[in-house]
Order: sequence, then structure tokens, then C-alpha cells
Amino acid sequence: MSILLNKTTRVLVQGITGKIGQAQTKWMKEYGTNIVAGVTPGRGGGSVEGVPVFDGVAEAVKATGAEASVFFVPARAVKDTVFETLEAGIRLVVVVTEHIPVHDTMEMRAEAKNFNATLLGPTTPGILTVGEAKMGIIPGNLFPKVGGRAGVISRSGTLAYEVGGILAKAGTAPSTVVGMGADPVVLTDLADILKFFAADPGTDFVTIVGEVGGIQEEMAAEYIARDFKKPVIAYIAGRNTPEGKRMGHAGAIVQRGMGSVQSKVAALEKAGAHIAKTPAEIGTLAQGLGKKPA
Amino acid sequence: MRLHEHEAARFFQQAGLPVPSFAVVRSADEAVGALGHVGLPVVLKAQVLVGSRGKHGGILLASTPEEAREKTAALLAKTVRGLAVESVMVAKAVPIARELYVGVTVDAVAGAITVILGTAGGIDVETVAKEQPEALFRKTVVPPAELHGHEARALARAAGFRGDLMVKIADVLVALYRVFRKSDALIAEVNPLAVTADEALWAVDAVLEVDDAALFRHPEMPKDTLARIEHPIERAAKQIGVSYVDLDGDIAIISSGAGLGMATMDVVGQRLKPANFLETGGGITEELMYKTTSLVLQKPGIRGLLINLYGGINPIHEGAKGVVRVLKERQIRIPVVAKALGNRQEETWATLKEAGVIIVTDITTEAAVDALCAALETRKG
Repeated sequence: MSILLNKTTRVLVQGITGKIGQAQTKWMKEYGTNIVAGVTPGRGGGSVEGVPVFDGVAEAVKATGAEASVFFVPARAVKDTVFETLEAGIRLVVVVTEHIPVHDTMEMRAEAKNFNATLLGPTTPGILTVGEAKMGIIPGNLFPKVGGRAGVISRSGTLAYEVGGILAKAGTAPSTVVGMGADPVVLTDLADILKFFAADPGTDFVTIVGEVGGIQEEMAAEYIARDFKKPVIAYIAGRNTPEGKRMGHAGAIVQRGMGSVQSKVAALEKAGAHIAKTPAEIGTLAQGLGKKPA
Repeated sequence: MRLHEHEAARFFQQAGLPVPSFAVVRSADEAVGALGHVGLPVVLKAQVLVGSRGKHGGILLASTPEEAREKTAALLAKTVRGLAVESVMVAKAVPIARELYVGVTVDAVAGAITVILGTAGGIDVETVAKEQPEALFRKTVVPPAELHGHEARALARAAGFRGDLMVKIADVLVALYRVFRKSDALIAEVNPLAVTADEALWAVDAVLEVDDAALFRHPEMPKDTLARIEHPIERAAKQIGVSYVDLDGDIAIISSGAGLGMATMDVVGQRLKPANFLETGGGITEELMYKTTSLVLQKPGIRGLLINLYGGINPIHEGAKGVVRVLKERQIRIPVVAKALGNRQEETWATLKEAGVIIVTDITTEAAVDALCAALETRKG
């Protein structure tokens, strides 16, 4: 089982004719993703990897019934394109693009709420349902052929890959891996993604891969304590982060004492989460959970 | 990018905020020359990009031309919190009866904008939030909405202001919100907003930090983003498009993602000491890895290099060629361990192995650190 994406989801690729769009479309198709259309303004009528290309989203939706969209669109065009996509009726959007102005992100976040849509990112590796489909850049060959029952939500991309692999190695393969993005403002909150896993009978427990900066993990901890019934494993990266330094991600910064690993770990631990001090410990903790009667 | 006070003050002035007249000078003579237009008494402020300049002797008062000359010369000769003072802002001093705080910032909790009015100013707003939370009044605005005049007045009234002063404060809030939006800022702040005995308002400080990701649409902003990075290796990293943070240890780290980089630091930190954080982001090419590898090895005393990459969007097989070129050209003898997984991993391993790099195929970063520790031990023995 899975959340948000499976092998029947009809996927649209935006920015499909760019170098990255083309390469990733190939990988996504090879993984089994049901890619039905691509959009690049001005390139309508062409095709990439056998996928028909349209000038606009409304047209692509009308012709192919596309219902989810993944973005390989340049940062400066993302806001406009997200509005177009929501307007055209799509309710799952994965924004892989990095370096989007935070003012644009705030406007997109508000618009997503107006449309009751789920937007992942910005700066997300995307979403991968093991053995079925993926939207974004998560490498499929790091995961087993068949999905398991462990949900993964990660702020970081590459670290999600490592954790997915560690879970698989521990015999507790992921069901769906969701990258939520690593910007100071995200389009969908960690707590809201947890709600999808809460409702998925195919997911037994969830691993949260957090990092320094922001307040997403603390907000999620409140939700977990209140309403989330499944076990949670959490690892927060960046124990040795010097204050005031931005650790690669725009949102990964400990500022004025806020956003530290300690505060996140304390909040999640209080909410009953199992805390891993290193990524490898996630495997050990997951095996422990697997042994308990369901 | 954090702007200098005088740059922020210029933008604030253009937006209609009440900024006292000022000039920016680079010598004591220029300071005296500016007095005619600014008017005595003046506040002399060191233009360095750090907070609490006042506490560290970076802000001085002058009531005569002689004093202005001497004190400007003194400021230009000193360092404030480790930073050399290259220019001084000469600003008209204002007789302050009361200090307030106004700020506009991105609120990560709401994913929107927060406008803050504080009835206590001049001190760090985070300290106020902790010690006198009742002194701060907030309004959340979800962009693209504007902060409307009536909303700003409601905020000022809620904070206890009445009459002309309430209206003037609201005007300041609306103007500050506009600057914040117009300049794609992460924070726009006036601390303190001075109130004089006759209830005039003066923005006697100006803080503006602009989102680097939005600089492409702001030709009006300063162009020397790079020059504002103090650390030479951090500056060089920014120039090649990767992210570097200097740390105290002697094990160099290259990772292909920020989260992975932080996790690598965590794991290395359990047994060894990381020399740096470095993440390439999604733009790996042979050339980028060549420059990146050279960069982390620049620091004196590096004992080992750990490379931790995933080929998702990144062509790691191309990157491997860049690493190998550095190792060969510079005849690097320290142990180099690489864990590189994902698309085209076998090709990547073959390239690295040929140059003597220790390859780790296990998924855990722990395994890579084990391999590095073992290699370091062997060298010792």
C-alpha cells in the first residue's frame, strides 16, 4: 500500500523538454510511473520518451486526464506554473526545483490551501512508492523491488535515500518515501503528510528524517502526541551545527537558539517517538518495532 | 544577503519611512564635510554586518566637528566583533523620549508574514519575546495580501496607542511591510523606532536582509554578495556554487546533499573530527567535483577525505572523474574513502578505485567512516 502515488496515478511532467526533465522522465518511466503527458510552453506537439508534450496544463489535462504533476521548471517560473497547474484541476504537485524565492513559496502555500491541494517542496527529491511509481529524482535502484510497510518523510533528499536503504536492509522496506523539502517555508507541513500515513492501512510505522532549522518537527510532535497512533522513529541531522551557519539548505540554520537538534529531539521524544542518534540506528529501531505484535 | 544599515536606510527612506538625514563616509575629513548636510549632533555608526554594534563600541555620539573627526577616525581604525570598519554612517542624532520596535519577517510556523509591533525597543526582540512577551503585538498577513492601513491601526491600538501617534505608527508599519514585500526580504526591522517628546517618529536603525534566491529580480540591490562572505573558503565555495561551512577538525567531507552532509558530520563526529560541511547540491559535473575536491583539501592539516554521494539528479560517474584528476595532479596521499550510490554507481566505483580511492558499497555512512578509521590506523602503523 502507499500514500499519494501508485502505479495507476496519471502523472504530468512540467519542464519535460529541459535536460533534467528529459533524463528524469526516462528514469521515472523505467521505474514504472504512469507518465501520460509533459508540458513546456512553446514545445506543444512534440514528444519526449514517447510522452506527448503540450503548451499548457489545462490542455494536457483535457487530453490525457493527468492528475498529478512533477516540476522540473526553473525557479523564476515556478509560482506562475503552480497557479496554472492548480487552476487546471491537479491536486498533487511535486516541486523539485531549488532556490525559489520564499515570498513566492508563501503565495503558493496559500494558493494550495485555497485549492485543498497537496504540494510537496520546494527543494524536494519527490515521492516514491516502492515498486510502483515515483515523481521526482529519488533513484529507484536504492530500493527493493517490492514495497514494505514503513513510511518515510524526509526534509532532505539524499538522506532519504540512505534511510530508505537502511530500512530495506533491516527487513522493514518502505511503503512510500516522501520528500517534504528543505526550505524555510514548505508548501505542505510535516504534520499534514503524517495524516496521509495515519490513514494508510499499508503503513505500520513512520520514520521522520529531520534536520536543524525551522519548526516543522516541533509542530509535527504536537500532532503526534495528540492524534497519531502509529509508532514513529525520528532522526534529526545536524548535531554539530554551528549557530548562525546555513547548512546547505536555505532552511537549515540554527538562529537565535531556535531550530536546534536538541529542541526537535526533545519535542519528538516527549511525543513518544523513538529517537535514532545516527541514520544506521533507524534500522535497529525499525527491527525492534517489527518484532512487537501489531 | 544582509544589507548594511545605510543601504537599508536608503530603501526605508524611499518607501517613506521617517529616516533622520545621514551620509556614509570613509574618512574623518568626509565625516566633517557631511556635517553641513546632516546637522549636529550626530551619531557615528560603524558599518559592519554584525548585531549589537553599540555594546561593542561601534556606535559613538559627536556634538562638535572636532569630536566627529576624532571619533570617525577611531571607528575606522578599529574592528567590531572581528570585522574591519570600512565605512561609517553619520546620522542626525534624535532626542529620544521612548523606544519602540517594528519588524516584518517570515514566520515559519504560519508559512506567512508576521508584522510585529513592540512597546519596548532598542533591545534584542528575541530577548523581549522571552522576558516580556506582553510587550509584543503581532499580525499575520498571508501574501499576496497587503498590510492594510486599518489592520495596522488595529495593531497599534491593540498595543495601547491612541490619537496621532497611533496613526503615525500604523503608517510606519504599512511602509515597512511594503519595503519587505518589494525587496523580497527575509526580515525588515527598525529597532528602535524612536519617539520624541513631541511624538515624532524616527527610524534610528535599519535592518534589511534580502532573500538570495530572489536577487535575480532585484537589480537595485548591491552586487557584491560574494565579498560579504567573510571566510575565504566559504567565499570560494559560493563562487563555484557549492555550500561550505568551516569546522574545527581535520577530516574533509564532500556530500551531494545538505541532509546527507549533516548526517555525515554527525557520524564522522562520533569518532573523528569533521574539518568542514560541504554539499554540492544537484549540480555535479566533472569540473564541479574537481573544484570541490581541491577546495576541501586546501585547508592545512587535513588527514582524510570522505566523499558521500547519491546519484539521483547528479551524474556521479562524471563527478568521479573530477575527484580522480585532483588526486592525480596533486599526488594526494591521505586516505580517501568514497561511498557513491545510485544511478551508474558501478562506473563511478571503477573510476575512483583506479586512483586508489577506498570504495564502500554498503548503504550506511557508518560503513564509510569505519573504512576511513581503518585506513587512518594503517597509515599510523
